[in-house]
Amino acid sequence: MSASSLLSVFLDNPAVILTVGALMCVATPRHLAGVIMLVVTAISAAKLYSLGLGNYGVFELFGEEITTIRIDPLSRVFAVVFHIAIALNVIYAWGQKDRAQNFATLAYPAAALGGVLAGDFITLFIWWEMAAITSVFLVWAPGTRATYVSGMRYLAIQVLSGVLLLAGVVLFYRETGSFAFDAIGLRDGDGAIKLAALVIFLAFGIKSAFPLLHNWVQDAYPKSTISGTIILSVFTTKLAVYALARGFAGTPELIYIGAVMTIFPIFFALIENDLRKVLTYSINNQVGFMIVGIGIGTAASLNGAVGYAFSNIIFESLLFMAVGAAMFRTGTSKATELGGLYRTMPLTLTFCIIGALSISAFPGFAGFVTKGLIVDGAAGFNIWIWLTLLFASAGVLEHAGIKIPYFTFFAHDSGKRPKEAPVPMLIAMGVAAILSIGIGVHPEPLYALLPDQEQIAGYHPYSAYHIIEQLQLLLWAILAFAVLILIKWYPAEVPSTNLDTDWFYRVPGRAFVTWAVGAARVIWVALWGIFSGRLHALMTRIYTMHGPEGQLARNWPIGFMALWTAVLLGFVLVLSFLA
Amino acid sequence: MIIASQLAVLPVITPLVLAPITLLLPKGRASWAWATLVSWLTFAACIFVLKTVAETGLISYYLGDWAPPLGIEYRIDLANALVLFLVSGIAAVVFPFAYRSVELEVDERQTPYFYGALLICLTGLLGVTITGDAFNVFVFLEISSLSTYALIAMGARRDRRALTAAFNYLVMGTIGATFYVIGIGLLYQATGTLNMADLHDRLVGQDNRMVQAGFAFILVGVGLKLAMFPLHLWLPNAYAYAPSAVTAFLAATATKVAVYVLIRFFYSIFGFDFAFMGAAFTYVLLPLGLAGMFVASLVAVFQEDVKRMLAYSSVAQIGYMLLGLSFASAAGLTATLIHIFNHALMKGALFMAVACVVFRCGSHSIHAFAGLSKRMPYTTWAFILSGLSLIGVPLTVGFISKWYLLEAAFGAGHWYAGFLIVASSLIALVYIGRIAEVMLLREPASDGKYVIAAKDAPLSMLIPMWALVAANIYFGVRTELTAGLAERAAAALMTFAGGGS
Repeated sequence: MSASSLLSVFLDNPAVILTVGALMCVATPRHLAGVIMLVVTAISAAKLYSLGLGNYGVFELFGEEITTIRIDPLSRVFAVVFHIAIALNVIYAWGQKDRAQNFATLAYPAAALGGVLAGDFITLFIWWEMAAITSVFLVWAPGTRATYVSGMRYLAIQVLSGVLLLAGVVLFYRETGSFAFDAIGLRDGDGAIKLAALVIFLAFGIKSAFPLLHNWVQDAYPKSTISGTIILSVFTTKLAVYALARGFAGTPELIYIGAVMTIFPIFFALIENDLRKVLTYSINNQVGFMIVGIGIGTAASLNGAVGYAFSNIIFESLLFMAVGAAMFRTGTSKATELGGLYRTMPLTLTFCIIGALSISAFPGFAGFVTKGLIVDGAAGFNIWIWLTLLFASAGVLEHAGIKIPYFTFFAHDSGKRPKEAPVPMLIAMGVAAILSIGIGVHPEPLYALLPDQEQIAGYHPYSAYHIIEQLQLLLWAILAFAVLILIKWYPAEVPSTNLDTDWFYRVPGRAFVTWAVGAARVIWVALWGIFSGRLHALMTRIYTMHGPEGQLARNWPIGFMALWTAVLLGFVLVLSFLA
Repeated sequence: MIIASQLAVLPVITPLVLAPITLLLPKGRASWAWATLVSWLTFAACIFVLKTVAETGLISYYLGDWAPPLGIEYRIDLANALVLFLVSGIAAVVFPFAYRSVELEVDERQTPYFYGALLICLTGLLGVTITGDAFNVFVFLEISSLSTYALIAMGARRDRRALTAAFNYLVMGTIGATFYVIGIGLLYQATGTLNMADLHDRLVGQDNRMVQAGFAFILVGVGLKLAMFPLHLWLPNAYAYAPSAVTAFLAATATKVAVYVLIRFFYSIFGFDFAFMGAAFTYVLLPLGLAGMFVASLVAVFQEDVKRMLAYSSVAQIGYMLLGLSFASAAGLTATLIHIFNHALMKGALFMAVACVVFRCGSHSIHAFAGLSKRMPYTTWAFILSGLSLIGVPLTVGFISKWYLLEAAFGAGHWYAGFLIVASSLIALVYIGRIAEVMLLREPASDGKYVIAAKDAPLSMLIPMWALVAANIYFGVRTELTAGLAERAAAALMTFAGGGS
């Protein structure tokens, strides 16, 4: 292949366009960064639109076909919403001067986009690792010792995911002789688990934060800057959701994994004081819904999972943005230090409530029109899964739908009277809020993007059954919240996660949850220790062997050289005689 | 025309006959100018040879009109025409480069001998490549080796360790040559001929102990000459302590010619009918190539002496060539031929950059490279660009080599080798990156023995060096000459040897 055609393969790729834009941000004056980022995002979106459905950037590598861009209905949904999220983030962080963050603001979503568009495992792997490397700049952005260490842990686990993916791909190639990234399935025809698929599954699982593999989310995300956390919250997990939808749709294991994911973060979110951390738990919970939908794997539930990912990116960002705006004005995101901000930040409050209504899936908002697809699918699969999802939906309302706006803007009066959020932040939140309502009221444009058009054509979100089911759930949950607050049983906002409210101990399962989180933390710390310790030991070993005084680099006496020659001659002689 | 019909002998006869005249010339500039002229004439002859072979195919030339198998035959196909072109081309660049470097590093009284020896060395290497006679290979191998020992020893003016390095190389090189000649003797015993084409014909069906032992001796003997891991122990010191210009010339040519000899024996003499060929590929070349790629690269990472570092890197790069051979496929052979050519370009340029630093600072320690970009920017960037080529960055020749090698690895079903190739390239990134970091980011030494004036190397050194750097880029973008010819050469060799395509 000639150099020029290679170049065109690259420049056709929206992800490459964004990456080039990210590099431009580093090289140009800082005050132009916002404009450049918006323009580049627009160019990339236009490129995506002009390409239309199909495979592009296909070339031969070592006799294997590499498809750098695959736009089909499944990848298109994610590509579209990624562009929306980038634009919102750029507007929200308008005027950001930090070059490293500006770079990551484009380069990291670019990598996630590249992964979504990848038609083969080689391309996927490259973008997968790029996403890991570019996103760590956001974790590091505050520049403190804590964020540095946390960033290194984050990078280690992300790279581990990439290495697993690579290993899985190699095994997969050996089994199938192909790099094509299509449905893999965890089990073969006899129901036995395929090794290659399992390794790839684990790689995806780390990035989508499966239970017990999830700690990196809460560890790294809340430590980033205000805008950094929002960007981080969108892309990594959603790239993994896409990868699971592509490779493992209809894998029953995912249903149980997803169900656990929807439940367990709720408890942590309820007792967590840092509202940004509450929202990171909410990411796990929301991704859990999508994974259940993928696991069920019917046309309806896949549509639901993908559509839910689309709307979730918008309203989850909106919530992060609202809490971020409060933090921007007051310098804190702790529930204990916030409260009573409704007096001076009414617009932010409004947007926050719209986000809360959306994530709680109130009829008329973005969450509602897609979540029903997943819940219906679960009802068809297993009553317990269905009940779990209903319970989790109620939990979403408690921790994300009510807790976030309540403790930020109402609750006890913190006495803080900050100004309303800056205009760029208001614009970004406003657009996200309009989108949340717009999708809720007119879901047709979103439905038109979903993978299975035949199924979605016959789906009506605003049927009496759906509305009644959802409203019953929500109203009872609100009642529960009100009662708990009234009788002061709701976990009060306290400055540490170590609550001494005795009621919680009585709740069954608390011990198990404590154990699980403790175990996960211990494993995490141990793995980190082993990893860093091994690395150090390995380097020492390499140095003693290969260093200037090592055996392999020393000046050997001449007799020794001759001896080696004789040894090799003997070996070759024996070999030739035997062959 | 009479010259045209004698074309095949010109690449050898020109330097061989004209070299002694160097000794009669006054020392210094005159002998250098004469040697440079001879190297250019030789290069011109080799270009014509390559052109003729590429257009009309194989040239067979009977020396003194004595017909083979009794007489010596020069037999030039695309494979050796390419190596001839490479070796004489490197010489044509190194000779002009050498003047200032030699002025500093070699005693002026010795300059006629130095240039004479370098020309003789060139003759030997070209002779090894061009000849179609197995014993003639030995003769030319000795011609080049003997002059090389002397050239390395001339580094003793700056560093006495050059004497031990030269002595070690002499002993090891002699062992290698002896093994080779023993191998030839055994083959002669079995067949009664020394002509390569004739050997091939008469070896058919002779899978006996004599031939097997001959094969083993030749493989190990040539393996020593080409610094196959673990027979490379002579190489790092020889390269490190030889005069800089000699290192640049040897690193780009000597081991490459030895690899060519191995290819010639494998494909044009033995062929795939022998069972031991497959065993040698699988159990000798493949593991030793991989081991060399990693061990030597890792050693290079920790070297404090940049010349030694590059020398170890050469051992690693030879690992790539052996790996390509070990796939026993046309693609693998192509990759090896391409890498022979491309590695010469990058290592030549890298050692020239080191020579420039030695010229200004008098040292090739890594400390001499501190802050070099502020003192010698042209040299710095020449080093970095050829370093990138060594790593295998796109738009350089290194990338082309790695690309064909990977393609061959996957084609042969050795998918793990493909990943190992990439992994060892990453180690190259580390050792080149280490020097680049020192050159670009460190502050230059302000006192002590590593102080350099802010003055780049003289033009007579910069121009040849940058010519090679430009070749690194040019052949990285236009691959018709290297890859195109190498593919044709490999296909021809493969068909002759009776292997699949």
